[in-house]
Amino acid sequence: MLTQIKGGQVIDPATNRSGVGDVWFEDGRIVEAPRDRKPDRVIDAAGCIVMAGAIDIHSHIGGGNVNTARLLLPESHRAHMPRPIATPLSNAGWSTFQTGTRYAQMGFTTVVEPAMSPGSALHTHLELADIPIIDKATLAILGNDDFLLSMIRDNASPAMIEDYVSWTVASSRALGVKVINAGAAAAFKDNVRTFSFDDVVPFYGVSSRKIVKTLQGAVNALGIPHPLHVHCNNLGVAGAADTAAVTMAAAEGLPLHLAHLQFYGYGTEGKRKFSSAGAQLAEIVNARPEITVDVGQVMFGQTVTVSSDVMRQFSARGTASPKKSVIHDGDANGGGIVPYNYKPDYYGALQWAVGLELFLLIDDPWRVFFTTDHPNGAPFTAYPAIFRLLMDKEARAEAIATLPKSALAMTTLPSITREYSWDEIAIMTRAAPAKLLGLKDRGTLAPGAVADVAVYRKQDDIANMLGAAAYVFKDGDLVVRDGDVTHYRWGKALRLDTPVEASMRKRMEAFYQERYGLSLDWFTFPDSAILRDEPFAEVACRS
Amino acid sequence: MAVAWIGNREVTGEQAARRAAELLVASSCPVFSLNGDVHAWRAAIMLAERVGAAYDQLDGGVLARELALFTGKGAITVAPGEMRRRADCIVIVGELPAVSRGWMKELVASPPDLSGGGKRDVFRVGTGLGSGKEIAAGDGAAQTLAALRAQLSGRVSAVPVKNIEAFRKALEKAAYTAFVYSGAGLDELGIEMLQGVVADINKTKRAAMVLLPASDDAWGGALVSTWMTGFAPRTGFGRGMPEYDPWRFDVARMIADGEADLHLVMSAGKQALALPRKMNAIAIAHTDKPVTHAAVTIRIGAAGVDHEAVRYSSRTGTLVLVEAAKPSSHLSAMSAIRLIAEALPC
Repeated sequence: MLTQIKGGQVIDPATNRSGVGDVWFEDGRIVEAPRDRKPDRVIDAAGCIVMAGAIDIHSHIGGGNVNTARLLLPESHRAHMPRPIATPLSNAGWSTFQTGTRYAQMGFTTVVEPAMSPGSALHTHLELADIPIIDKATLAILGNDDFLLSMIRDNASPAMIEDYVSWTVASSRALGVKVINAGAAAAFKDNVRTFSFDDVVPFYGVSSRKIVKTLQGAVNALGIPHPLHVHCNNLGVAGAADTAAVTMAAAEGLPLHLAHLQFYGYGTEGKRKFSSAGAQLAEIVNARPEITVDVGQVMFGQTVTVSSDVMRQFSARGTASPKKSVIHDGDANGGGIVPYNYKPDYYGALQWAVGLELFLLIDDPWRVFFTTDHPNGAPFTAYPAIFRLLMDKEARAEAIATLPKSALAMTTLPSITREYSWDEIAIMTRAAPAKLLGLKDRGTLAPGAVADVAVYRKQDDIANMLGAAAYVFKDGDLVVRDGDVTHYRWGKALRLDTPVEASMRKRMEAFYQERYGLSLDWFTFPDSAILRDEPFAEVACRS
Repeated sequence: MAVAWIGNREVTGEQAARRAAELLVASSCPVFSLNGDVHAWRAAIMLAERVGAAYDQLDGGVLARELALFTGKGAITVAPGEMRRRADCIVIVGELPAVSRGWMKELVASPPDLSGGGKRDVFRVGTGLGSGKEIAAGDGAAQTLAALRAQLSGRVSAVPVKNIEAFRKALEKAAYTAFVYSGAGLDELGIEMLQGVVADINKTKRAAMVLLPASDDAWGGALVSTWMTGFAPRTGFGRGMPEYDPWRFDVARMIADGEADLHLVMSAGKQALALPRKMNAIAIAHTDKPVTHAAVTIRIGAAGVDHEAVRYSSRTGTLVLVEAAKPSSHLSAMSAIRLIAEALPC
């Protein structure tokens, strides 16, 4: 069906397009405006903004830890009632069904689960397969696994390490590689309770820095489009800005992505020894073009923190609200689930402000990405409210006025007047994520791209506008109209097409037999295990 | 070979599915008792949503007991593979599922290779495994755990704990202690007490629990239920949205109290199904004859035998693919459920 989206304000930074015009698509792909054909369907987009479907590069939407968080927080007990409105997950879009539905309603069409344990890849992909409408992707976690740490300890060659990384990405069907508090989960099992960038993992004798640099080199050498995705050490700690700074310095000119930088934007000034270092971190990012970051914005209210940084989550158990948590030592990282209520007190307000400082003080919207680290900073359903804070300085000022002055005094936020433009929003949520992840077929309205299109009816209230799209098309199918899902379909998981060295399977088979007493078949699976037609789509490595 | 029955009359699978769909449409309070692989659970929960049913694990009491710790309190756990490689002190707590005995014997016999390796100390609470020093106090595993927790914390307990000093020394020496348990051998408070022991040890040392579920398929079903609805089994769709209530949607209770008017039972296991005489029932079962008292029976194969399956493995602590050992033309539970779903009016 040839479709014309007619007369909207088209914003497509990837093609430098910004102005009133039409978008055409057919058979699931954007096409040039045909000269001699009439459309089968016309969507009147007058008074609307038209952009490509949005891409979320870091949102915990599926896998073992996410599911454990769901299990931990039913909060209904014998109350004979559905989940009450104010419980931790009432706004989270918490089932797989709700996740796909609520993302689509906001015009998001691709979402990356950034923390897949390779050993639980089948579980993760089964969950993702049950998320309707949107496409998904995963980042495979490495950096606390015995196989890699042993290779680094034993001075394995870069080629051998690249073979292992490539095998892991291919067998787990991942789009990239993430390292989470490199070495800390392994150290925690040896009863180490804090772990910094130059600390050494007991038993292996390798530092966190060495692990990050090794993986960064392997990811780059393999041509994996997305830079190594780094969850730094010391998350959430006063003074963590120093850790983030040394990690960024260690990039040494090669691409490196730092996840949820807000959670490291804390200094040690003031009488509470907890201050904003958002401006300093933004300055470092601005000066280092090889660095990209996502923010992990905090919003006030109840949520649950879900992280494979098991050491950090163990230390945070005392802050759990409600008072329950799960800590899991996995075969490599494991994870921790700690429910948390962000209150607009000194500490919460400061965290909220740090995130906004990063958004507003990092100059290049191609290098700062829009996330709440769902659900860690806030559920992804808070996105519309965050867009309003970024695009409307008066709305921001109103919010600031309600928060403790003592906290705001420790930040630069009240003095910042920048407002994001529509072009910058489109860069940060469409064009830049596609570029960062190596997804050449999306994030743009260029002919040949998948017909993932979001149409928003202009309103004064930006949050209302971006919270409920007028139309959303996924692969050309109309899936949302006036904020309601009108059609359910199954998306795909995007995976990287990495080469696998022929002897690697034999090495892994020997490893699992010797160390676990099990065949490698227990840890791998064919695509058919998902039981969906074409559950995966391939993404090419850089040549 | 018969594939389905309406009452005792042989019919095609499609005819049985149509009759099952009619019964589901006519029911005002259908309930599902489920036992199957991951794909069977996925299909069954989708069907439950369409017809407004409540669902539970078949004989779901033990699963509910195992889930209670995770829904009500939380836990400190370790993956089974990591336990094998790292734990230099292992405590087997209570009775374990019979299927895990081989793996436990292998575990006891294999030395840990991480964190310096070395030999493993083995203890047991109760008689779950023959080997290992027995830790005992009073009558039963829960009481033993209570006394053990008190004494490890420096408090006095009225009942002495057998081998407490040996265990204290082993704990002191151990780099990592793992406690293996199952809902088959501990009640809710016993499991919670065990978590208390583990939490106390973690103040200064490392320790964690490993759950060997009484039924791996039940635990796999719980994972599926949780991602599809946000809730564990004992969830109902009576009001169109998933609602979780472990008392209200206890299917056995709903039947006993006369709340349910149709019982769909899905079981790929070998055990014979015992259905009550007075209630309409749909049986999706691994059987070669109609299930007694079932209005409709659809024959299915065994997961991992007649057809490929995805199942929870307590050996790996996650989902695994199981190839068909003896592939056959029998319907899978998922296929049977989908036949019924396709027969429902749109």
